[in-house]
Amino acid sequence: MKKAILYINQFFGQIGGEEKADFEPEIREGLVGPAMELNKQLNGAEVTHTIICGDNFMGSNEKEAVGRIMKFLEGKDFDIFFAGPAFQAGRYGNACGVICKAVKEKFDVPVISSMHIENPGVEMFRKDVYIFKGGNNAGRMRQDIGAMAAFGNKLLNGEELLWADAEGYYGRGKRHQVWLESKEPASKRVVDMLVKKLNGEPFVTELPIPKKDTVAVAPAIKDLGKANIAVVTTGGIVPLANPDRIQSASATRWGRYDYSKMDRLDAGDFKTIHAGFDPAAANADPNVIVPLDALRAYEKEGKIGKLHEYFYSTVGTGTTQGEAARMAREIVEYLRDAKVDGVIMTST
Amino acid sequence: MVKEIERAGFPVVQMCNLIPVATTVGANRIVPTISIPYPLGNPGDSKETQWKLRYHRVGVALDSLATEIKEQTVFKVKI
Amino acid sequence: MKLEIGNFHVKDIVFGDETSYRQGILTINKKEALDFVLEDEHITEAELLIVKPGDRVRLVPVKEAIECRVKVNGSTLFPGVTGDVMPAGDGRTHALKDCSLLVVGKHWGGFQDGLIDMSGEGAKYTYYSQLKNIVLVGDTDEEFEKNEQQKKNHALRWAGHKLAEYIGSCVKDLDPEDIETFELDPVTKRSEDLKKLPSMVFVMQPQSQMEEMGYNDLVYGWDMNHMVPTFMHPNEVLDGAVISGSFMPVSSKWSTYEFQNNPTIKELYAAHGKTINFLGVIMSNLNVALEQKNRAALFVAQMAKSLGADGAIVAEEGYGNPDADFIACIVALEDAGVKTVGITNECTGRDGESQPLVALDVKADAIVSCGNVSELIELLPMETVIGELESLGRDGLSGGWANDEILGPSVKPDGSIIMENNAMFCGDQVCGWSPKTMKEF
Repeated sequence: MKKAILYINQFFGQIGGEEKADFEPEIREGLVGPAMELNKQLNGAEVTHTIICGDNFMGSNEKEAVGRIMKFLEGKDFDIFFAGPAFQAGRYGNACGVICKAVKEKFDVPVISSMHIENPGVEMFRKDVYIFKGGNNAGRMRQDIGAMAAFGNKLLNGEELLWADAEGYYGRGKRHQVWLESKEPASKRVVDMLVKKLNGEPFVTELPIPKKDTVAVAPAIKDLGKANIAVVTTGGIVPLANPDRIQSASATRWGRYDYSKMDRLDAGDFKTIHAGFDPAAANADPNVIVPLDALRAYEKEGKIGKLHEYFYSTVGTGTTQGEAARMAREIVEYLRDAKVDGVIMTST
Repeated sequence: MVKEIERAGFPVVQMCNLIPVATTVGANRIVPTISIPYPLGNPGDSKETQWKLRYHRVGVALDSLATEIKEQTVFKVKI
Repeated sequence: MKLEIGNFHVKDIVFGDETSYRQGILTINKKEALDFVLEDEHITEAELLIVKPGDRVRLVPVKEAIECRVKVNGSTLFPGVTGDVMPAGDGRTHALKDCSLLVVGKHWGGFQDGLIDMSGEGAKYTYYSQLKNIVLVGDTDEEFEKNEQQKKNHALRWAGHKLAEYIGSCVKDLDPEDIETFELDPVTKRSEDLKKLPSMVFVMQPQSQMEEMGYNDLVYGWDMNHMVPTFMHPNEVLDGAVISGSFMPVSSKWSTYEFQNNPTIKELYAAHGKTINFLGVIMSNLNVALEQKNRAALFVAQMAKSLGADGAIVAEEGYGNPDADFIACIVALEDAGVKTVGITNECTGRDGESQPLVALDVKADAIVSCGNVSELIELLPMETVIGELESLGRDGLSGGWANDEILGPSVKPDGSIIMENNAMFCGDQVCGWSPKTMKEF
C-alpha cells in the first residue's frame, strides 16, 4: 500500500477561519477534513498524515513554516504529496505551491495540487507542481479532490501519462512529442487547418505562441573609459584542441580562454566547433565572431578602461534554454569576481 | 544567456544577425551583425573592409553599453 | 502539365542474375549494379544489401533515401544531377513502390547523417523502417572531409541517385499496376467551378544555408542558396526536379524520396477541386543572412499576392535559424492578406522547456507541429549494424555525442545507444508523414 500525505490550511483543517490564519504548522496522524475524501478516492494508496498550517503563517514566515514542515516529514515514509485544493484562495494557493515545490526538491516525490485558474498560485507554481484545474468555490471539493486522486493513482501505478490538457492540469511549460492515436499525418492536418482558416472556421494550432519573457534593462555604464569589458560568445570559438570538450550542438559545457597577451585571435590558435553553420570563415579568422582585434584597438585608444583577460565561449545550436541559463549563471560568477562592468555577447 | 547576464545586473549587448530572434527571446540592447557564419567580417571582402566594419560595429556595441535605454533597442550601424 | 506516375508495388527484393521486375519481385544483379556504382573512381568500396521491415538491423550513418524510378521517354530522372537539365513534371514516370534505396557510409558520418532501426522500439522513429530497402554501403576517397562534421557526401549521394535510376530502368517498358495522375491547369485558365473555391499556394523552404557549394538542396541541379523564390509546378517537385542536400540536422531533413513522394503536395492534389484551388508551389529557400531571409519573404508574399492566393501553407526544412525564415514568410503572407498555416518541427530541449521556435510572432497562429528534435531516445543493441555504429558518437551526428558527464557516450560498449531524435533519419517526417505532434506536459 503506497503512502500519501496531504497539506491543508487552517480552515479546511477545522481549526478556524480568518482569525486562525496564523495557526502554526502541525502534522496529524490520520485524516482531517478533505483528507478523508482523498483517501477514499486513492487506489492502492492511503493518506497517512494530514499537515495543517495557517495561510498567514506560511505567507509571512515562509522559511520558518517550510523548515518546520520539512522536519515533520523527515523520517516519514511517503510516496506522494498533495496540497489543497485551494480553489480561488490566493494565500492558500501560494502556500500549496510553496510547500509542494519544497517537498519535491527535498524528497523527490510527485506533488499535486488543485486551483482555480484565477488563483495567482497557478502562474507562480505551474512549472514546478502538477496543479489541477479546479473550481472557484469549496462546493467543488469532491470533483477537485477526485481529479487530484485520479492522477495520483496513475502516477503511483506507473500508467502512461497523457499531456496536460488531456489529464486536466495546467501546462508546466514542457513540450514533448506524442504519437497521435488517430495516426493522422501532418500533411492531412495542415491541409485541414488551412481549409478551416480559409473558411473562417475555428481551428486549434498545434504550436501556441508563448508570451514573451523580458528582463529589466540593466543601467548603462557611467564611464566607458574606465570600464572593464568582457566578451561572451555562443559561436563556439575555442582553442584548436577544444580542451573543455565543448559539444558542437546541445552544449552543456563552456570554457573561458585567456587572450590577454594577444592583439587578435589567430587561425592557428582558435577555431569554431559550432555545428550549425559553415565554419570556414570563422576558422580562417576567429575575430569575425570574437572581435578581439577591434576591442584591443579600443582598449589602446582608451575608449574602454580594459578588456577582461578571458573570453567565455559555448555553442548555441540545439542547446536548451535551461542549460544556457545555467552556464550563464556560472559565467556571471567569474564576471563578478573580475569586476566586469559590461558584456558584449556575440551570437551566430 | 544574455537575459541571465542582464538579470545579474550587467549591461550586456547582443551582437547577432537574427534580430527577430533577439527581440523574441528578450535581449534589451541589440546590435546587428552581417551574417551567421561570419558576424563581423565578410571573407569575400578585403581585410581592410572587414576591419572597418568590425571596428565600427564593435564601437556601436560598446557605446550601447553606455547608453541609457527604456526598452528593447536595436542600435543602428552605419557600415 | 500532366504527370503520370506508374506504380510497381514491390513485394520482395532479391539478388539474382538479371536486374528485373516480375510479379512483385524486384531482382537485382548485384555485380552489375556495383560495377555501375564503381564507375565513379571516387568510390573506393561499395556493397549492396537488402533489408526489410522487421529485420534486426540498425543502419548508420544513413546519408540519403531515394525512390527508384525511370522516365519512360528516356529523360533524365534527376535533371542537372544524373543527366542533362531538362523539364520534369510531365509525361510518364515509372516507380518501384514500397521500397527505397538507402545510401549508407561504410565508416564516416557527419552532422547531416542519421540512423534507422528496421525493428524494435526504434523503428517508429523513422518512415523507412516500413519499407523494403536496397542499401548501398560505400566508402570514398573524399579524404578532405573524412573527419569533418559537415560533409558534402558527394560521391555517395550521386551514386545513390544514379543507382536509383539504373534500378528503376528495369520497369521502363512494363505496364504499371496502377497509375497516379497529377494535373493542374495553368493558373489563369482554370474552370469557373475551381475559381469559386479558395485558392492557395504551397511555399516550400528547402535547406540552403551553406555558403560553399556542394551541401545544399538542388533544383534542376542548381544550388538553392543561389536563388530567390520562384514559382514552380508541384509536378516538378514530385518528378525529380529537386533533390535533397547534405547539411540538414537529419531529423528535419526532406530526403529525395520525400520530395518524390511529398505527402503534403499529394494531400493538396486530393483537396484540389473539392475544398481548394491549388495554384502551385512557391519554391523559396533557407539562406543564412537576415537580409536574405527578409528578401525571400518579400518575394514569397508578392508572388502569392499577385497570383491572387487566398491562403498558403509554409513548410520549412529545418530548425534553429531557419525558423526565422519560416516566421518571416508567414508574417509577410499574413500582412499581404494571405491566410497562412505552417508545418514544422520544434526544438524544445531535452527538458521540453525551451522556446519551440527561435523566432515567434503572434501572426503565426496556425501551425502543425511534427515533433521534437531534442527528445532523448534510448535503444537496445541491434543484432546487425550496417555502416558503423561508432559513427553516431564519434563523427558529430546531430543527435549523437562522444561523451556526456551525465549520459555517457551515445554508443555504449554493449551496442545500446542513447541519442537525440535529432539524429533519426528524417525522423520528424516534416514532409508531412509525421504521425506525431507536440503537446504541453
